[in-house]
Amino acid sequence: MRVKVIAFAGFREILGKERELDVKEAATVKELLQVLAAGSPRFREEAFEESGAVRDYVLLMVNRKRIDPQQDLSRALVDGDELAVFPPLAGG
Amino acid sequence: MIEITDSEICLDELIKRARRDDAGAVVTFLGTVRDDEDCGLEHLEVEAFREAAIAELQAIREEAMSRFGLKAAEVVHRTGTLAVGESIVAIVCSAGHREEAFSGCRYIIEQLKSRAPLWKKEISETGERWVGGA
Repeated sequence: MRVKVIAFAGFREILGKERELDVKEAATVKELLQVLAAGSPRFREEAFEESGAVRDYVLLMVNRKRIDPQQDLSRALVDGDELAVFPPLAGG
Repeated sequence: MIEITDSEICLDELIKRARRDDAGAVVTFLGTVRDDEDCGLEHLEVEAFREAAIAELQAIREEAMSRFGLKAAEVVHRTGTLAVGESIVAIVCSAGHREEAFSGCRYIIEQLKSRAPLWKKEISETGERWVGGA
């Protein structure tokens, strides 16, 4: 299946603004992040602890709704989903 | 009205839009680019997840309107390159009385800072860094 990844701020500089990826059926959010990390050592370093846990400051949206980075990493994605990856917000 | 724009913010225009015959108070908030002491800030780059930020700001605006009985609330956030002293964000709230207008304005800026997907990068003499993150 195909999913879209968009990234902002520091993560945009590492991953690019937008890309489409083919991933296995029902891949989870964490598996998609791992695919991104496999293609970018810098993203792996910025987004993952050495233990393999996703760092606290990685914020995520699926289809423009915030997901809990600790609770929802096991959420299965479906074809056409959009994952947004960004650091803590700093507007205003 | 909610706006995210690369253009300079015109506060007078927002005030004009927020005025109402039954509003006795119009409160404005302007957030501006600050050069902290010895930081040597040259400029700021502001980035938005535009569609998600507009949706979030609309939700925040509606919450403020109903919670504080505002007559109007205008919110504009800049994106792009901003010089020191320029306005990053403007919020204008009108209400029957000043208490509601102050409270509504404060609610919107506090919620914007914690909920709207927007980011700032500081470019200074010594380098560049994203505020608050990776």
